[in-house]
Amino acid sequence: MDEVIRVQNLSFAYKQDYEVLKNISLVFDKKSTAIIGQNGAGKTTFVKLLKGLLKPTSGEIYIKGYNTKEVSTAFLSKYIGLVFQNPNDQIFKNTVLEEVMFGPLNILKDKKQAQENAIKALEMVGLQDKMHIHPYDLGLSDRKLVSIASIVSMDPDIIILDEPTIAQDHKGNTIIKNVIKELKEKGKLVITITHDMDFVAEIFERTIVLNEGIILLDGNTREVFSQQEILKKAYLELPHVAQLAKKLGIKQTLLTEQELINFLKHNKLNN
Amino acid sequence: MVNLVVEHLKYRYPLGNELALEDISFEVKKGEFIGIIGENGSGKSTLCQAIVGLVPNFYKGAYGGKVLVKEIEVAQSDVSEISSYVGIVFQNPFTQITGSKLTVYEEVAFGLENLGIPREEMIKRIEESLKLLRLFEYRHFNPFELSGGQMQRLAIASVIAMKPDILVLDEPTSQLDPQGSEEVFQAIQDLAKNGMTIIIAEHKIEKIASYADKIILLHKGKLVDFDTPEKIFSREDIEEYGIVPPVYTRICKSLNVKNEAGFYPVTLEQVYYELVKVYG
Amino acid sequence: MRYLSLYQEGNSLLHKIDPITKLLFVIIAILVPIIINTLTMALAFFIISTLLVFVARAFKRTLPIISFSSLVIITVLFIQGLFYLKNQTPFFTLGPFVFYKEGLLYATGIAIRIFNIINAVAVLIFTTKPSDLIEALVKKGVSPKIGYVFSSVLQIIPQMMSIVDTILDAQKARGLETEGSFTKRAKAFIPLIGPAVLNSLISTKERAMALEVRGFNSKKKKTFLNEVPYNKYSNVLQVALIAILVFSIIWRIISW
Ligand SMILES: Nc1ncnc2c1ncn2[C@@H]1O[C@H](COP(=O)(O)OP(=O)(O)OP(=O)(O)O)[C@@H](O)[C@H]1O
Ligand SMILES: Nc1ncnc2c1ncn2[C@@H]1O[C@H](COP(=O)(O)OP(=O)(O)OP(=O)(O)O)[C@@H](O)[C@H]1O
Ligand SMILES: [Mg+2]
Ligand SMILES: [Mg+2]
Repeated sequence: MDEVIRVQNLSFAYKQDYEVLKNISLVFDKKSTAIIGQNGAGKTTFVKLLKGLLKPTSGEIYIKGYNTKEVSTAFLSKYIGLVFQNPNDQIFKNTVLEEVMFGPLNILKDKKQAQENAIKALEMVGLQDKMHIHPYDLGLSDRKLVSIASIVSMDPDIIILDEPTIAQDHKGNTIIKNVIKELKEKGKLVITITHDMDFVAEIFERTIVLNEGIILLDGNTREVFSQQEILKKAYLELPHVAQLAKKLGIKQTLLTEQELINFLKHNKLNN
Repeated sequence: MVNLVVEHLKYRYPLGNELALEDISFEVKKGEFIGIIGENGSGKSTLCQAIVGLVPNFYKGAYGGKVLVKEIEVAQSDVSEISSYVGIVFQNPFTQITGSKLTVYEEVAFGLENLGIPREEMIKRIEESLKLLRLFEYRHFNPFELSGGQMQRLAIASVIAMKPDILVLDEPTSQLDPQGSEEVFQAIQDLAKNGMTIIIAEHKIEKIASYADKIILLHKGKLVDFDTPEKIFSREDIEEYGIVPPVYTRICKSLNVKNEAGFYPVTLEQVYYELVKVYG
Repeated sequence: MRYLSLYQEGNSLLHKIDPITKLLFVIIAILVPIIINTLTMALAFFIISTLLVFVARAFKRTLPIISFSSLVIITVLFIQGLFYLKNQTPFFTLGPFVFYKEGLLYATGIAIRIFNIINAVAVLIFTTKPSDLIEALVKKGVSPKIGYVFSSVLQIIPQMMSIVDTILDAQKARGLETEGSFTKRAKAFIPLIGPAVLNSLISTKERAMALEVRGFNSKKKKTFLNEVPYNKYSNVLQVALIAILVFSIIWRIISW
């Protein structure tokens, strides 16, 4: 199994006597992973630590073998990219294109190549026609897409998305799903924080449930969604389809529309 | 009793090329729960801001028609004065924090102080709304030290505490955990039952389907339809407006299961009822 | 976002006194020694304000300011001790330098007055939240808008600082070295000024909307969450302080 990230006994506190993450240990391989959990569980804090923007209070994090305490965040950015929860925290250039070129320009040092990467990334999120607009003249949903493109354009091996679907309509959601699928096909590790359980069920192989700074569940997405009681404790819910299947008395954990439709076509409900 | 009237509302942003709202008219009764849906850029936020008067009083631009809140024309009055009748929760919670208070508790107090609510009453309301949004244990936190979802909870709590007659919410649960957004929808439904009028723009289509009495469907600044969830989501052309119906409705469409009135079910309970009839 | 504030939580007697009383004390501690311009009066106030610094348990935090200004004061002592115009009585000699009594006394007077002011202000700022002070002034009838301007001024620097932090994070997250040598940091910092200013303008506009929809400019009479949890003697104290000021003025006029 090729290990991409190793987290060892990680603890973190913003202020004394208030630990946000408590002694977390885990390993990420290339399986696409969703991190879910209640508000304030520590999800954003956790990925900022992976990214090297925060440093562990105790414990170690290795990104492709590099200890985040020993290398600079800028150095790590070749390997790991993070799309921030609030796009306003990430955007600081005057045009969409400049914004998306900023990252590749820093790591490639080649303007032509950087621009090529940036334009490709903008095409992926469907913003190629808005390249010369000021990012603040875009709506929140487009601004979020800009922040995604500006990480994708850097082509790191690990890409973390912090609540990418905020403010997106159906079309935006589909764009983001396709971006993730494409990144997966390229062999990248995609980690996503989200509160959208349907999105988790549809896209991710592995799911981690974070609750009050500890890992409550970690496993195959379908297995995780079969643990309804624990999910409830973590203020989570089942995906809509699973809720309906459960209500219909179906024992299996069904996650997608198609699974449920097929089930109904071939089985009788026993109630 | 009608307490919000929108008549031939038109609006263009100062730097906009097209109308952001085009000839919008509708009426809302006291205690109704109204959902606004539409694709990105369809005008949901603009409409929300027009109801509280930020459009046009804050953004300027070209404005026509009128918005009447309890018979007051909002474009002609001060946003601050209107704020005792209409509250708004912004799309981005970060921009809702006043920045002039040091704790979550005082942040909720801000609006109440301005409205001149007596202190005892103020404290009661602050604690109620913080508990409702599960923020009470964070009451001593600096608002800027909250997580994204906690900040969104704070934005909602601050406005609910002001007890407006009309509560406008612009995607208020986009960053909430699943149970949190369910709790918020339930809480505002309770408020509606007690007579508060609710206007909520949302992309969470399943939630709107099960909570809204009626839905406004916007497309490119125009009001396409204003009707019950069943009727809106049973429209054959719904996807042309960038809206995909709730999962439950989609499943029923694939299986061709309709209710007695000839519409596709839109909520968990309804779809369960219909499916058991067919497959049970 | 942080608040520009030197306030420290505490429960000393001075934390419990209301901000207006403390503000009055600062004014009087500055004015009275000017009105009655004698060394004794300066010394009296110096002693009082120093005592208050200890009562406020703020000595440790005042010390750095005191020691910094001591540098200045020592030079004053030197210069006045050597060169004060009215120097007559040699006091002591240090190598080739003769220090005079008049100059030293004069400089000591200045030192005492400066330390007095520092101490008095320290008592106020270390034991009072700026927001409480502003709120107290608003309750006394200062317009809330002026109050808001004050508190925005107190916030603008921390706000800029946090915007700069945010942008620095955004930059290093995308491969710009912001740590390390001075040139590296400067290279990261200069292009940051533009966006920092722009961002704070945008947030100013958004903030104005946030205030407005929460009734900030409402004509209703404001109420306050923070009722005076302060010492009930504060009225007595305030009257006493004002009396001191009035007496000193009268004294000055009589003894003209
Ligand atoms: N800058 C900060 N200073 C102090 N405490 C903080 C800070 N940022 C976050 N916290 C606290 O740390 C905890 C975890 O926050 P974090 O942002 O990691 O949560 P999250 O799981 O991402 O939540 P959400 O789903 O709401 O985004 C919260 O209780 C929050 O109040
Ligand atoms: N400040 C502004 N200046 C100019 N045009 C604007 C401004 N804000 C919004 N617009 C434009 O007005 C239209 C409606 O935008 P609005 O934000 O109301 O849409 P929305 O339905 O809320 O979208 P979303 O789902 O992304 O929140 C869009 O075409 C948008 O580009
Ligand atoms: Mg978060
Ligand atoms: Mg909007």
